[in-house]
Amino acid sequence: MKRNLILYILIFAVCILTVGTALTSCGRRGDEVSVFYYTYSDTYISGVRSAMDAGLRRAGVGYHNYDAGSNQTTQTEQVDTAIAKGTTMLIVNIVDTGSDDAARTIVEKARAADIPLIFFNRSVSEEIVKSYDKCIFIGTDYEAAGHMQGEMIAENILANYDKYDINGDGKISYVLFKGQQGNAEAEARTKYSVEDCNALLSEAGRPELMFYDKNNKNGYIVDQDGNWSNAAANNSMKTILSGYSEAGGNMVELVIANSDEMALGAIAALAEAGYNKEGGRVIPVFGVDATEGAVAKIRDGFMTGTVKQDGVGMAEAIVKVTENILGDMEALSGIDEAMVIGGWRINIPYSLYTGDDAE
Amino acid sequence: MPEINEDRERNDGFFVKLLSGARERIDGFRSLPREDKARRVREFLLNNAMYIIIITAVIIIAIIEPRFISWASIINIISLTAAKLPIALGIGGAIVLTGTDISAGRAVGLTACIGASLLQMTGYSAKMFPNLSTMPVFIVLLAVMAVGAVIGLINGFFVAKFKLHPFIVTLSTQLIIYGAILLYLQIGNNGGQTLSGLDSSYLDFVSGPLFRVAGIAVPRYVLFSVIITAIMWVIWNKTTFGKNMFAVGANEEAANVSGVNVFKTIVLVFVLAGIMYGITGFIEGARIGSIASYTGQNYESDAIAACVIGGVSFVGGTGKISGIVIGVLLLQIIFVGLNFLSVDQNMLYIIKGAIILLACAVDMRKYLVKR
Repeated sequence: MKRNLILYILIFAVCILTVGTALTSCGRRGDEVSVFYYTYSDTYISGVRSAMDAGLRRAGVGYHNYDAGSNQTTQTEQVDTAIAKGTTMLIVNIVDTGSDDAARTIVEKARAADIPLIFFNRSVSEEIVKSYDKCIFIGTDYEAAGHMQGEMIAENILANYDKYDINGDGKISYVLFKGQQGNAEAEARTKYSVEDCNALLSEAGRPELMFYDKNNKNGYIVDQDGNWSNAAANNSMKTILSGYSEAGGNMVELVIANSDEMALGAIAALAEAGYNKEGGRVIPVFGVDATEGAVAKIRDGFMTGTVKQDGVGMAEAIVKVTENILGDMEALSGIDEAMVIGGWRINIPYSLYTGDDAE
Repeated sequence: MPEINEDRERNDGFFVKLLSGARERIDGFRSLPREDKARRVREFLLNNAMYIIIITAVIIIAIIEPRFISWASIINIISLTAAKLPIALGIGGAIVLTGTDISAGRAVGLTACIGASLLQMTGYSAKMFPNLSTMPVFIVLLAVMAVGAVIGLINGFFVAKFKLHPFIVTLSTQLIIYGAILLYLQIGNNGGQTLSGLDSSYLDFVSGPLFRVAGIAVPRYVLFSVIITAIMWVIWNKTTFGKNMFAVGANEEAANVSGVNVFKTIVLVFVLAGIMYGITGFIEGARIGSIASYTGQNYESDAIAACVIGGVSFVGGTGKISGIVIGVLLLQIIFVGLNFLSVDQNMLYIIKGAIILLACAVDMRKYLVKR
């Protein structure tokens, strides 16, 4: 009998949970826009999500969020469900940026249902966005982040060259965390950060950066799960530090990460080995995003710099465009014209954060 | 005319039987003493708790959000169910053997990659094999089924030969398969990218419209799933292999003593499961339009949950095809329904977990009572 009692309690709990969550969301129902996030696990995207939730609530727009968990299949299915539900608008942070097909599939679904569509953050090609007149892209000029990071790294290295060159061989050895294969942002950041930095170093008469592992022809390390994750970068960095050290004269002298999460993962591994913490030598670490965690590290002096992706600015632009479209106004009205490119995309500008110009 | 009459008589006979059967049961129930009656009702409610919850949920969701039972929504749920059914039917066999298969999702991923790479359209700039003209769809289907079968063969061999728990075997093969996926995606022109540019012959074959209901297309893979379900039903219920599978699942020793070839049965169950993963992978490519390294990741968790909800027990030796179909359908109804109610995504994971836990508890209870 006791077992049954527990079962009843369990059944009761499930019912309460379901009904309860359904009821709490009741107030928001009715006409709603659907927002699809590539994953809830991404810190930067979570920041965008909080800003967007707040913005949509302030604008009085009903919304429902979907978590694709880094899986395009899940996301495409969620789009189907939202359309079947009669959503008024699709706001999509697409998972698969490696090819146009996933985005095209979603455009076709939106077209068939005649629903306006905003892609944001993760890049979608011009051809796809322009193929549907109710489609718009809101993101960043993703190549700019790589260029800005490269420039920032070069300036910083040139100012501290001898301090950074630990083994005194005249070259700076580096490691680069790419984040994900086949992602346009990752590809661009990987390419331009090193290229631009090298160009500036050569100009100043210094040798180019040298990848720490001569056998790695790629010149980067990938998060095999494609999540740009703290943990994957941490594991890789720990492995690296077990084979490369100051004592061995081959210590990694520079860390470039395509996101702050990965930068923080690398810093945690460095701290375990006695670097980048109170009283330890600081290996320069650069990231992108300017997440809260990274900004704090930079303020404390354990991280060197990051490129700020303005998540709040992006969320505000998305909310503004959403309001415009739902209010039957010109989609781009009220958006700073300098940010509008070719009528099909809005670029949210990047800025640098190195702690020097801290507010 | 006489034929129709005969038919009617047969029908009448069937209904009379059904009615009298029901009456007998009702009479039997009436004659029970009071506390027995209450116990019976409680038993019934508990044993069917999942169904009762789901039916209530559907009614409530439909009242709050009538669009939930519109054609668009119903076809959406059916399509989602059809896409996830083959993998669940495959895993079901492994669970009947008291095992599991956590390599299923990655197997779907690998077969999807292979299928998609062979069916990219000719002249597509990033084609993996630029010199290969697009292959006939049917041959590729057979090829991915064969790849799935090989994966199943490896799983089954290690489980049967070395008496390893399927969890450990498939934990290992899942990693090996993932490595194979990553290596495969590096081949040729592809360079680790997403596989896309799929040929229209493939897309039409899998996700072209089967027929339309109220202007909404039902995709072809729904038909595939129906056919596969029918085939699996025959295999499970009408063949010696099916009976052997249940015998081995219920009691391996006893089955062995009574002359069942346990080794062969276990290997065949996993091979069959592998073939199902191949078919799922084949459908997946055309359904989503592009295939990447994460394709198939964690698919096994939903499939296992569906089997358990549908009454395929981890105790072994029990389970029905119809149960699996209902399990997959119920899971989809829950997810789509909760999205219709705009339930917070964070809560979705919690509810999903709670439902699976409840289903397992209700299921185990049946066996604990028996003992």
